[in-house]
Amino acid sequence: MHFVWRRLTFWWRRDQLERELKEELELHAALAQSRAVMGNMTLAQEESRDMWGFRTIEYLLQDVRYALRGFAKNPGFSSVAIISLALGIAGNTSIFSIVNALLIRPLPFQEPDRLVRITNLHPKALLEYFQQRSRTMDIAFVDPGAEINLTGQGPAMRVTASETSANLFSILGATVERGRVFAPDEDRPGKDGVVILSHELWRTKFRQDPNIVGRTIALGGMNRRVAGIASSGFAFPSTKVQAWIPARIDPRNMVDYWGGAFVPLIARIRPGASVEQARSEIHSLAAGVWKLFPWPMPKRFNADSTVISLQTDLAGETRSKLFVLLAAVGAVLAIACANVAGLLLARATTRRKEIAMRAALGAGSGRIVRQLLTESVVLALAAGGIGILLGTIALSLFRSIVPPQIPGMAQIGFDWRVALFAAALSVLTGLSFGVVPALSARSLDLVEAMKAGSQRSTTNSWIALRGWLIAAEIALTLVLVVGAGLLMKSLYGLTSVNPGFNTQKILTVKISPNDAFCAQREACVAFYRTLIEQADGISGVVNAAVANTVPLDGGLPAIPTEVEDHPRTPNFPSPMLWAGAVSPSYLSLLRIPLLSGRAFTDADGSNTSPVILISASTAARFWPGVNPIGKHIRRAGENTWRVIIGVVADVRQFNLANNSPSAISGAMYMPYAQAVQSNGQIPVVMNLLVKTTVSADQAATDIRRIAVEANPDIPVGKVLTLTGIVGDSISGFRSTIWVFLSFAVAALLLAAVGIYGLMSYSVSRRTYEISVRMATGATNGSIVRLILGQSLRTTLLGLSLGIGASFLLTRFLSGLLFAVTATDPLIFTYVCLFLVVVAAAASSIPAWRASRIDPIRTLRAE
Amino acid sequence: MGKQPSSAELLPGTLDLLLLRVLSLEPMHGYGIAHRLKQVSDDVLQVGESSLYPALQRLRLNGWVKAEWGTSENNRRARFYTLTTAGRKQLLSERDEFDRMAGAIQKVLRMV
Repeated sequence: MHFVWRRLTFWWRRDQLERELKEELELHAALAQSRAVMGNMTLAQEESRDMWGFRTIEYLLQDVRYALRGFAKNPGFSSVAIISLALGIAGNTSIFSIVNALLIRPLPFQEPDRLVRITNLHPKALLEYFQQRSRTMDIAFVDPGAEINLTGQGPAMRVTASETSANLFSILGATVERGRVFAPDEDRPGKDGVVILSHELWRTKFRQDPNIVGRTIALGGMNRRVAGIASSGFAFPSTKVQAWIPARIDPRNMVDYWGGAFVPLIARIRPGASVEQARSEIHSLAAGVWKLFPWPMPKRFNADSTVISLQTDLAGETRSKLFVLLAAVGAVLAIACANVAGLLLARATTRRKEIAMRAALGAGSGRIVRQLLTESVVLALAAGGIGILLGTIALSLFRSIVPPQIPGMAQIGFDWRVALFAAALSVLTGLSFGVVPALSARSLDLVEAMKAGSQRSTTNSWIALRGWLIAAEIALTLVLVVGAGLLMKSLYGLTSVNPGFNTQKILTVKISPNDAFCAQREACVAFYRTLIEQADGISGVVNAAVANTVPLDGGLPAIPTEVEDHPRTPNFPSPMLWAGAVSPSYLSLLRIPLLSGRAFTDADGSNTSPVILISASTAARFWPGVNPIGKHIRRAGENTWRVIIGVVADVRQFNLANNSPSAISGAMYMPYAQAVQSNGQIPVVMNLLVKTTVSADQAATDIRRIAVEANPDIPVGKVLTLTGIVGDSISGFRSTIWVFLSFAVAALLLAAVGIYGLMSYSVSRRTYEISVRMATGATNGSIVRLILGQSLRTTLLGLSLGIGASFLLTRFLSGLLFAVTATDPLIFTYVCLFLVVVAAAASSIPAWRASRIDPIRTLRAE
Repeated sequence: MGKQPSSAELLPGTLDLLLLRVLSLEPMHGYGIAHRLKQVSDDVLQVGESSLYPALQRLRLNGWVKAEWGTSENNRRARFYTLTTAGRKQLLSERDEFDRMAGAIQKVLRMV
């Protein structure tokens, strides 16, 4: 310990030590002068210095100094190398930060690795069925959350509440900040009048009032006692949830018990059990559940249920998107590394003279290799620093590819894992691209290098290696650019697709009364009729309508139906239809064309016989080749049939790609007054839509005003433009594409730099040969052709490798593609041509330079 | 240039022992130590500065001697090395070790 400490202090004071030693030796010399022979003073000095024991550090500092000096002398080389790597590291660090937050970092719950999701959606009855029979799991029921009204606390507001079984908190191992979690029997009828508030809701709405626990608040028209306040930061199943209320589990209410709500089940693996055991248990339990229902269910309904980790479940679709981006950004880093390896390789060969000189002056080969490695590591660390900096910026931009409502996503940041990843990445990169050139320097023939003094003696295998590196870069770039091309074409397809409705100058606002408000159906119908009339009266409004959903706003008002001519059997269960409840003006406002029959009129009221419109694809599906007008559809369980009075064009209700969930078989519209639901009520929460001739801002104020004035107790949402809603529906896709595109552009730039570097190097290496050619009559044009031809050969090699790789790899994008196949020949052709042009452009400067070589001067110099 | 006696020609570790022994009598500067060694050994032990000063630094690092600046006989600043308590202990143990070693070598040489 003392020894180390003394060494350190010696090291610290080394300048002083040097001075003192010098003085001491001078004295020695002076005293010895008269008599004894003089020894080797320098040797005495050097060996004393070694005794202090910091030779290693000294050498390291020396190497670092050499490296920095070398980089400063070659700003072009070092900036290209550092920027290449920094781009690669920035992309990787930022994407890895997201991957870490989403897929690696443990969920913020107790023993998160024992938490699982049972796939598919299950009714309350199956929760109890599984819970009673499972030996491996404790199971909870938790719905994604729905908006309900919080009233009696100042202005009415919408709160997202999740219905859960009473054991949710104990299964997650979550505690509350105040109050208590649900008692085990609080999901039973009569005991469920409780609620747990999120910390955020408590803070914003109740101003952190500590006395709120135990008080009663009105949620969705029901009085509930506040049982507790969740810990700050607790979010499940999404950050949108502001309150948890017990699901009422009542086996006597058979309809609700077996069919009221189909929701996700989560579970905690019991101590001693494994995920595999839980999985096989669920496989055997779920196989026959379809037979348990008190009514016929589709054959093998939910029989494919299995167990996946809760983390995977929460990540959802983002997971596959992230893997695509991670692969893309990994390719960018590989390209960057290949570039820098190529640059260092070229540098090592042009520096042969310097290295030979060092070796001749007595530097051991280990010392030289160490110096070259130090150079690479310094380079990588500098790039790592810049990369982390760029990465934080990139992260703030890339964050939008992850839905913010996934718990924990608000806190994506550079944690230690990511820092470690970046550090390891930069050092590994440094070592990997340092090794090849370092080895190349080691196999140096001293005499040959010193003697020749030119670069003609470079081993050809290293040049070939560099060519292959560049070809590999081009191949990877091709894969990325083809991917970007396919995605861009998809995005273009999505934005230019006809959604089936007009989006221009339409504003919409959500009006959400309590369920009780519509207990009297007529009151509700009258309320909305008045609202439409008032909206029509606003200056600048040309049309107004109400509807239970707006296309592409994420709503999915699907109901099980019975369709005439299609009797229900176990193999053909009730088809689910998208069911719009609209005012007559809705179709004209959105300009949804009526293809046949008649549209709704004000006469289609609650007392007239029920009528519906269906979409063209619904008609084609159920009555191909037959006129559907006059046929009937009814809600499952309903007594009276509804008659089809017309067919309207298809509308992309669910998303622009028209991937409506596979469970939805079609779409129908009902007049609002006739849209009676299973609970006997008509839809309460409606959207007011208006078409304006004035600017959105101006109309928005007026619309909000009339909605609030119509009934101050009813919460009124934000006024949105329909174009905004349509844009938002693909915003996740759009941001994924932009991120991917930015990687493709980075790859393209890096590859162009790589080709440029390779060709400039090749020209400088072939100076002598080119001079001889020119001296023997080659024209400038033929020299340019010679160089471009060489670049073209490498490019074509890269392209053929890349086309093969793309055919294999682009299929992983197919989940993201729209209206384009993963092997779209047009995109492949364009991208190949484009890359040839880029390669030609990148090598044109070296080619031009080659044609300007002065043969006389070169040949004389040799 | 004449022949340079060096630590390599001494038994390994002996130089340290000799230096400690010389310093155990009085604090001395580097040249003084070399001179004393030469004198006492009748010119047999000529320690060159390229072994002497590194060895002195080693002794310092180990904490066996401490160095202080003083004035030499010709009135120049000189560094005087003094044996520390740890150094005295080290001297004793190295001396025992050396005796043991020397005895062993003698035995080998005298064997019949």
